[in-house]
Amino acid sequence: MKESEGRPSLDTALRAMAEDEAQLGASAGIEARLLAEVRSIAAARRRRMAIAACAAAAVVLFALWIGSQRFLPSRSSEARVAEVTTDFLPLAYSSVPSTSLQVVRLAVPRTALVSFGLTPPEPLDRTFTDTVLADVLVGDDGLARAVRFVRPAADQEQMP
Amino acid sequence: MNEVEDAQLLERSRRGEESAFSELFRRYQAGIHRYAVHMCGASTGDDVVQETFLAVLRQRGRTDAPRQTVAGYLFGIARHIVLQRLGSRYEPLTESGDDDVSEVASGALTALEHLTRAETIAAVRAAVQSLPLVYREAVVLCDLQEMEYAAAAGVLQCPIGTVRSRLSRARALLVTKLGAVHATADARRQ
Repeated sequence: MKESEGRPSLDTALRAMAEDEAQLGASAGIEARLLAEVRSIAAARRRRMAIAACAAAAVVLFALWIGSQRFLPSRSSEARVAEVTTDFLPLAYSSVPSTSLQVVRLAVPRTALVSFGLTPPEPLDRTFTDTVLADVLVGDDGLARAVRFVRPAADQEQMP
Repeated sequence: MNEVEDAQLLERSRRGEESAFSELFRRYQAGIHRYAVHMCGASTGDDVVQETFLAVLRQRGRTDAPRQTVAGYLFGIARHIVLQRLGSRYEPLTESGDDDVSEVASGALTALEHLTRAETIAAVRAAVQSLPLVYREAVVLCDLQEMEYAAAAGVLQCPIGTVRSRLSRARALLVTKLGAVHATADARRQ
Protein backbone atom coordinates (compact mmCIF):
# COMPACT_ATOMS: atom_id res chain seq x y z
CA MET A 1 0.00 0.00 0.00
CA LYS A 2 1.47 3.26 -1.09
CA GLU A 3 0.97 6.30 1.06
CA SER A 4 2.83 9.56 0.74
CA GLU A 5 3.08 11.82 3.76
CA GLY A 6 -0.13 10.41 5.19
CA ARG A 7 -2.11 11.25 2.10
CA PRO A 8 -4.20 8.55 0.44
CA SER A 9 -2.74 7.13 -2.76
CA LEU A 10 -4.65 6.00 -5.81
CA ASP A 11 -3.80 2.40 -4.88
CA THR A 12 -5.32 2.91 -1.45
CA ALA A 13 -8.42 4.52 -2.89
CA LEU A 14 -8.88 1.73 -5.43
CA ARG A 15 -8.36 -0.86 -2.73
CA ALA A 16 -10.99 0.81 -0.57
CA MET A 17 -13.37 0.69 -3.51
CA ALA A 18 -12.60 -3.00 -4.11
CA GLU A 19 -13.20 -3.77 -0.43
CA ASP A 20 -16.46 -1.86 -0.55
CA GLU A 21 -17.63 -3.97 -3.47
CA ALA A 22 -16.34 -7.27 -2.11
CA GLN A 23 -19.76 -8.37 -0.90
CA LEU A 24 -21.53 -7.62 -4.15
CA GLY A 25 -22.42 -10.50 -6.38
CA ALA A 26 -25.08 -12.22 -8.40
CA SER A 27 -28.51 -12.62 -6.84
CA ALA A 28 -29.42 -15.95 -5.26
CA GLY A 29 -31.85 -16.84 -8.02
CA ILE A 30 -29.03 -17.03 -10.56
CA GLU A 31 -27.31 -19.90 -8.79
CA ALA A 32 -30.63 -21.73 -8.45
CA ARG A 33 -31.30 -21.39 -12.19
CA LEU A 34 -27.79 -22.55 -13.04
CA LEU A 35 -28.06 -25.51 -10.67
CA ALA A 36 -31.21 -26.56 -12.50
CA GLU A 37 -29.16 -26.58 -15.68
CA VAL A 38 -26.50 -28.69 -13.94
CA ARG A 39 -29.21 -31.15 -12.86
CA SER A 40 -30.50 -31.40 -16.41
CA ILE A 41 -26.97 -32.13 -17.59
CA ALA A 42 -26.65 -34.87 -14.99
CA ALA A 43 -30.01 -36.33 -16.04
CA ALA A 44 -29.03 -36.27 -19.70
CA ARG A 45 -25.75 -37.95 -18.81
CA ARG A 46 -27.61 -40.70 -16.94
CA ARG A 47 -29.93 -41.16 -19.92
CA ARG A 48 -26.97 -41.48 -22.26
CA MET A 49 -25.38 -44.05 -19.98
CA ALA A 50 -28.66 -45.98 -19.75
CA ILE A 51 -28.98 -46.01 -23.52
CA ALA A 52 -25.43 -47.25 -23.84
CA ALA A 53 -26.11 -49.92 -21.24
CA CYS A 54 -29.30 -50.89 -23.06
CA ALA A 55 -27.37 -51.24 -26.26
CA ALA A 56 -24.85 -53.46 -24.52
CA ALA A 57 -27.66 -55.51 -22.97
CA ALA A 58 -29.26 -55.85 -26.36
CA VAL A 59 -26.05 -57.32 -27.67
CA VAL A 60 -26.00 -59.83 -24.81
CA LEU A 61 -29.60 -60.77 -25.40
CA PHE A 62 -29.01 -61.02 -29.10
CA ALA A 63 -26.21 -63.45 -28.45
CA LEU A 64 -28.61 -65.51 -26.35
CA TRP A 65 -31.32 -65.27 -28.94
CA ILE A 66 -29.49 -66.24 -32.06
CA GLY A 67 -31.67 -68.05 -34.43
CA SER A 68 -34.86 -67.39 -32.51
CA GLN A 69 -37.47 -64.80 -33.40
CA ARG A 70 -40.37 -66.03 -31.35
CA PHE A 71 -41.52 -63.77 -28.56
CA LEU A 72 -43.75 -65.67 -26.23
CA PRO A 73 -46.09 -63.82 -23.88
CA SER A 74 -45.71 -64.49 -20.19
CA ARG A 75 -47.78 -67.33 -18.99
CA SER A 76 -50.12 -67.27 -16.06
CA SER A 77 -48.81 -68.33 -12.70
CA GLU A 78 -50.89 -71.50 -12.83
CA ALA A 79 -49.24 -72.53 -16.03
CA ARG A 80 -45.82 -71.96 -14.55
CA VAL A 81 -46.47 -74.28 -11.67
CA ALA A 82 -45.81 -77.20 -13.94
CA GLU A 83 -42.43 -75.98 -15.08
CA VAL A 84 -38.92 -76.75 -14.01
CA THR A 85 -36.69 -73.70 -13.85
CA THR A 86 -33.13 -72.91 -12.99
CA ASP A 87 -32.37 -70.17 -10.51
CA PHE A 88 -32.12 -66.70 -11.97
CA LEU A 89 -28.60 -66.31 -13.28
CA PRO A 90 -27.15 -62.77 -13.13
CA LEU A 91 -26.37 -60.94 -16.35
CA ALA A 92 -23.93 -58.08 -16.92
CA TYR A 93 -26.22 -55.39 -15.47
CA SER A 94 -27.48 -57.33 -12.48
CA SER A 95 -25.93 -54.80 -10.09
CA VAL A 96 -27.69 -51.77 -11.63
CA PRO A 97 -30.55 -50.74 -9.30
CA SER A 98 -34.06 -50.77 -10.69
CA THR A 99 -37.37 -49.71 -9.18
CA SER A 100 -39.36 -52.42 -10.92
CA LEU A 101 -38.64 -55.61 -12.83
CA GLN A 102 -40.58 -57.50 -15.45
CA VAL A 103 -40.20 -61.05 -16.60
CA VAL A 104 -40.04 -61.50 -20.35
CA ARG A 105 -40.17 -65.00 -21.73
CA LEU A 106 -38.06 -65.77 -24.74
CA ALA A 107 -37.18 -68.80 -26.79
CA VAL A 108 -33.39 -68.98 -26.98
CA PRO A 109 -31.06 -71.47 -28.67
CA ARG A 110 -30.05 -74.48 -26.61
CA THR A 111 -26.46 -73.35 -26.92
CA ALA A 112 -27.30 -70.43 -24.63
CA LEU A 113 -27.43 -72.95 -21.78
CA VAL A 114 -23.86 -73.95 -22.42
CA SER A 115 -22.71 -70.33 -22.10
CA PHE A 116 -24.01 -70.47 -18.51
CA GLY A 117 -22.31 -73.77 -17.82
CA LEU A 118 -25.55 -75.78 -18.04
CA THR A 119 -26.08 -78.99 -19.90
CA PRO A 120 -28.87 -78.82 -22.49
CA PRO A 121 -31.62 -81.27 -21.56
CA GLU A 122 -33.06 -83.83 -23.88
CA PRO A 123 -35.77 -82.17 -25.97
CA LEU A 124 -39.19 -82.47 -24.41
CA ASP A 125 -40.88 -79.72 -26.30
CA ARG A 126 -42.03 -81.14 -29.57
CA THR A 127 -42.52 -77.82 -31.21
CA PHE A 128 -39.18 -76.14 -30.54
CA THR A 129 -36.59 -78.83 -30.48
CA ASP A 130 -33.73 -76.41 -31.20
CA THR A 131 -34.64 -73.84 -28.56
CA VAL A 132 -35.27 -73.63 -24.85
CA LEU A 133 -37.44 -71.21 -22.94
CA ALA A 134 -35.86 -68.47 -20.83
CA ASP A 135 -37.35 -65.89 -18.48
CA VAL A 136 -35.39 -62.64 -18.62
CA LEU A 137 -35.68 -60.14 -15.76
CA VAL A 138 -35.78 -56.69 -17.33
CA GLY A 139 -35.66 -53.45 -15.30
CA ASP A 140 -37.73 -50.34 -15.95
CA ASP A 141 -34.66 -48.91 -17.69
CA GLY A 142 -34.70 -51.74 -20.24
CA LEU A 143 -31.58 -53.43 -18.88
CA ALA A 144 -31.62 -57.21 -18.52
CA ARG A 145 -30.65 -58.16 -14.95
CA ALA A 146 -30.92 -61.95 -14.91
CA VAL A 147 -32.09 -64.95 -16.86
CA ARG A 148 -33.44 -68.33 -15.89
CA PHE A 149 -34.06 -71.28 -18.13
CA VAL A 150 -37.42 -72.97 -18.18
CA ARG A 151 -38.24 -76.53 -18.97
CA PRO A 152 -41.86 -77.60 -19.20
CA ALA A 153 -42.53 -80.48 -16.82
CA ALA A 154 -43.26 -83.85 -18.31
CA ASP A 155 -46.95 -83.68 -17.45
CA GLN A 156 -47.20 -80.35 -19.26
CA GLU A 157 -46.28 -82.15 -22.43
CA GLN A 158 -49.68 -83.71 -22.39
CA MET A 159 -51.49 -80.42 -22.11
CA PRO A 160 -52.99 -78.94 -25.27
CA MET B 1 -6.72 -20.30 -5.55
CA ASN B 2 -5.44 -23.73 -6.47
CA GLU B 3 -5.46 -23.90 -10.26
CA VAL B 4 -5.53 -27.70 -10.38
CA GLU B 5 -8.52 -27.73 -8.10
CA ASP B 6 -10.23 -25.06 -10.20
CA ALA B 7 -9.68 -27.13 -13.32
CA GLN B 8 -11.13 -30.19 -11.60
CA LEU B 9 -14.14 -28.21 -10.45
CA LEU B 10 -14.66 -27.02 -14.01
CA GLU B 11 -14.45 -30.54 -15.41
CA ARG B 12 -16.77 -31.98 -12.75
CA SER B 13 -19.24 -29.13 -13.28
CA ARG B 14 -19.43 -30.01 -16.95
CA ARG B 15 -20.22 -33.60 -15.98
CA GLY B 16 -23.21 -32.34 -14.01
CA GLU B 17 -21.85 -32.46 -10.44
CA GLU B 18 -23.82 -29.92 -8.45
CA SER B 19 -21.37 -29.59 -5.57
CA ALA B 20 -18.48 -28.86 -7.94
CA PHE B 21 -20.50 -26.30 -9.82
CA SER B 22 -21.61 -24.59 -6.63
CA GLU B 23 -18.01 -24.26 -5.49
CA LEU B 24 -16.86 -22.93 -8.87
CA PHE B 25 -19.77 -20.47 -8.89
CA ARG B 26 -19.01 -19.37 -5.33
CA ARG B 27 -15.41 -18.64 -6.24
CA TYR B 28 -15.96 -16.60 -9.37
CA GLN B 29 -19.48 -15.21 -9.57
CA ALA B 30 -18.81 -12.08 -7.55
CA GLY B 31 -15.76 -11.08 -9.58
CA ILE B 32 -17.56 -11.62 -12.87
CA HIS B 33 -20.57 -9.74 -11.53
CA ARG B 34 -18.44 -6.75 -10.54
CA TYR B 35 -16.62 -6.78 -13.88
CA ALA B 36 -19.94 -6.75 -15.73
CA VAL B 37 -21.39 -3.99 -13.55
CA HIS B 38 -18.35 -1.77 -14.06
CA MET B 39 -18.37 -2.34 -17.80
CA CYS B 40 -22.08 -2.37 -18.67
CA GLY B 41 -23.98 -1.06 -15.67
CA ALA B 42 -25.63 -2.44 -12.56
CA SER B 43 -28.57 -4.01 -14.38
CA THR B 44 -26.37 -6.38 -16.38
CA GLY B 45 -24.46 -8.10 -13.59
CA ASP B 46 -26.84 -11.00 -13.05
CA ASP B 47 -27.34 -11.60 -16.75
CA VAL B 48 -23.64 -11.70 -17.53
CA VAL B 49 -22.95 -14.07 -14.64
CA GLN B 50 -25.75 -16.36 -15.75
CA GLU B 51 -24.72 -16.34 -19.41
CA THR B 52 -21.07 -16.93 -18.50
CA PHE B 53 -21.76 -20.01 -16.42
CA LEU B 54 -24.32 -21.32 -18.88
CA ALA B 55 -21.68 -21.05 -21.59
CA VAL B 56 -19.31 -23.04 -19.38
CA LEU B 57 -21.91 -25.76 -18.83
CA ARG B 58 -22.90 -25.91 -22.47
CA GLN B 59 -19.31 -26.52 -23.45
CA ARG B 60 -19.55 -29.82 -21.61
CA GLY B 61 -18.45 -31.72 -24.69
CA ARG B 62 -15.05 -30.12 -24.32
CA THR B 63 -12.49 -32.48 -22.87
CA ASP B 64 -9.49 -30.21 -23.19
CA ALA B 65 -8.56 -28.00 -20.28
CA PRO B 66 -8.71 -24.27 -20.92
CA ARG B 67 -5.36 -23.01 -22.18
CA GLN B 68 -5.32 -20.24 -19.60
CA THR B 69 -6.23 -20.27 -15.94
CA VAL B 70 -9.81 -21.07 -15.04
CA ALA B 71 -10.21 -17.48 -13.83
CA GLY B 72 -8.89 -16.19 -17.15
CA TYR B 73 -11.13 -18.61 -19.02
CA LEU B 74 -14.25 -17.51 -17.12
CA PHE B 75 -13.46 -13.81 -17.41
CA GLY B 76 -12.73 -14.35 -21.10
CA ILE B 77 -16.25 -15.71 -21.59
CA ALA B 78 -17.70 -12.90 -19.49
CA ARG B 79 -15.79 -10.34 -21.52
CA HIS B 80 -17.11 -11.81 -24.76
CA ILE B 81 -20.66 -11.39 -23.43
CA VAL B 82 -19.91 -7.89 -22.17
CA LEU B 83 -18.46 -6.83 -25.53
CA GLN B 84 -21.53 -8.18 -27.31
CA ARG B 85 -23.68 -5.99 -25.07
CA LEU B 86 -21.48 -2.95 -25.48
CA GLY B 87 -21.34 -3.29 -29.25
CA SER B 88 -19.84 -0.25 -30.88
CA ARG B 89 -19.53 1.55 -27.55
CA TYR B 90 -16.36 -0.47 -26.94
CA GLU B 91 -13.84 0.91 -29.36
CA PRO B 92 -10.18 0.10 -28.84
CA LEU B 93 -8.25 3.35 -28.61
CA THR B 94 -5.14 4.08 -30.57
CA GLU B 95 -2.37 3.17 -28.18
CA SER B 96 1.25 4.12 -28.61
CA GLY B 97 4.00 2.25 -26.83
CA ASP B 98 4.22 1.30 -23.20
CA ASP B 99 4.88 4.71 -21.72
CA ASP B 100 4.63 4.17 -18.02
CA VAL B 101 3.13 6.98 -16.00
CA SER B 102 2.34 4.80 -12.98
CA GLU B 103 4.75 6.75 -10.76
CA VAL B 104 2.63 9.81 -11.24
CA ALA B 105 -0.59 7.88 -10.98
CA SER B 106 0.18 6.00 -7.79
CA GLY B 107 1.44 9.06 -5.95
CA ALA B 108 -0.40 10.78 -3.14
CA LEU B 109 -3.73 12.30 -3.96
CA THR B 110 -4.30 15.53 -2.12
CA ALA B 111 -7.76 15.48 -3.64
CA LEU B 112 -8.74 12.61 -1.33
CA GLU B 113 -7.02 14.00 1.74
CA HIS B 114 -10.07 15.59 3.33
CA LEU B 115 -12.64 13.08 2.22
CA THR B 116 -14.18 10.38 4.37
CA ARG B 117 -13.78 6.76 3.29
CA ALA B 118 -17.29 6.73 1.84
CA GLU B 119 -16.64 9.96 -0.06
CA THR B 120 -13.34 8.63 -1.32
CA ILE B 121 -14.99 5.46 -2.59
CA ALA B 122 -17.76 7.43 -4.27
CA ALA B 123 -15.26 9.76 -5.91
CA VAL B 124 -13.05 6.93 -7.14
CA ARG B 125 -16.06 4.96 -8.37
CA ALA B 126 -17.29 7.95 -10.35
CA ALA B 127 -13.83 8.50 -11.77
CA VAL B 128 -13.51 4.84 -12.78
CA GLN B 129 -16.94 4.95 -14.42
CA SER B 130 -15.93 7.99 -16.44
CA LEU B 131 -12.87 6.26 -17.91
CA PRO B 132 -12.98 5.12 -21.52
CA LEU B 133 -14.03 1.45 -21.57
CA VAL B 134 -10.63 0.17 -22.67
CA TYR B 135 -8.92 1.81 -19.71
CA ARG B 136 -11.74 1.07 -17.31
CA GLU B 137 -11.44 -2.61 -18.17
CA ALA B 138 -7.75 -2.65 -17.29
CA VAL B 139 -8.41 -0.96 -13.93
CA VAL B 140 -11.28 -3.30 -13.13
CA LEU B 141 -9.32 -6.45 -13.90
CA CYS B 142 -5.90 -5.48 -12.52
CA ASP B 143 -6.70 -3.09 -9.67
CA LEU B 144 -10.16 -4.10 -8.50
CA GLN B 145 -10.00 -7.83 -9.26
CA GLU B 146 -6.27 -7.96 -8.53
CA MET B 147 -5.68 -10.10 -11.60
CA GLU B 148 -2.06 -10.57 -12.62
CA TYR B 149 -0.97 -8.76 -15.77
CA ALA B 150 -0.38 -12.03 -17.62
CA ALA B 151 -3.85 -13.29 -16.77
CA ALA B 152 -5.38 -9.94 -17.69
CA ALA B 153 -3.52 -10.02 -20.99
CA GLY B 154 -5.07 -13.45 -21.63
CA VAL B 155 -8.54 -12.13 -20.92
CA LEU B 156 -8.03 -8.96 -22.96
CA GLN B 157 -6.26 -10.90 -25.73
CA CYS B 158 -3.43 -8.44 -25.94
CA PRO B 159 0.27 -8.38 -24.96
CA ILE B 160 1.21 -7.76 -21.34
CA GLY B 161 2.83 -4.50 -22.39
CA THR B 162 -0.51 -3.26 -23.65
CA VAL B 163 -2.12 -4.12 -20.33
CA ARG B 164 0.58 -2.15 -18.50
CA SER B 165 0.21 0.75 -20.88
CA ARG B 166 -3.57 0.87 -20.53
CA LEU B 167 -3.32 0.64 -16.78
CA SER B 168 -0.79 3.47 -16.62
CA ARG B 169 -2.92 5.72 -18.77
CA ALA B 170 -6.01 4.79 -16.80
CA ARG B 171 -4.33 5.65 -13.53
CA ALA B 172 -3.07 8.96 -14.87
CA LEU B 173 -6.60 9.76 -16.01
CA LEU B 174 -7.97 8.80 -12.61
CA VAL B 175 -5.54 11.12 -10.84
CA THR B 176 -6.55 13.94 -13.16
CA LYS B 177 -10.25 13.27 -12.70
CA LEU B 178 -9.95 13.01 -8.93
CA GLY B 179 -8.02 16.30 -8.89
CA ALA B 180 -10.88 17.90 -10.79
CA VAL B 181 -13.35 16.52 -8.25
CA HIS B 182 -11.30 18.10 -5.48
CA ALA B 183 -11.14 21.45 -7.26
CA THR B 184 -14.91 21.42 -7.78
CA ALA B 185 -15.49 20.58 -4.12
CA ASP B 186 -13.17 23.42 -3.05
CA ALA B 187 -14.96 25.88 -5.28
CA ARG B 188 -18.30 24.87 -3.74
CA ARG B 189 -16.95 25.37 -0.22
CA GLN B 190 -15.76 28.90 -1.07
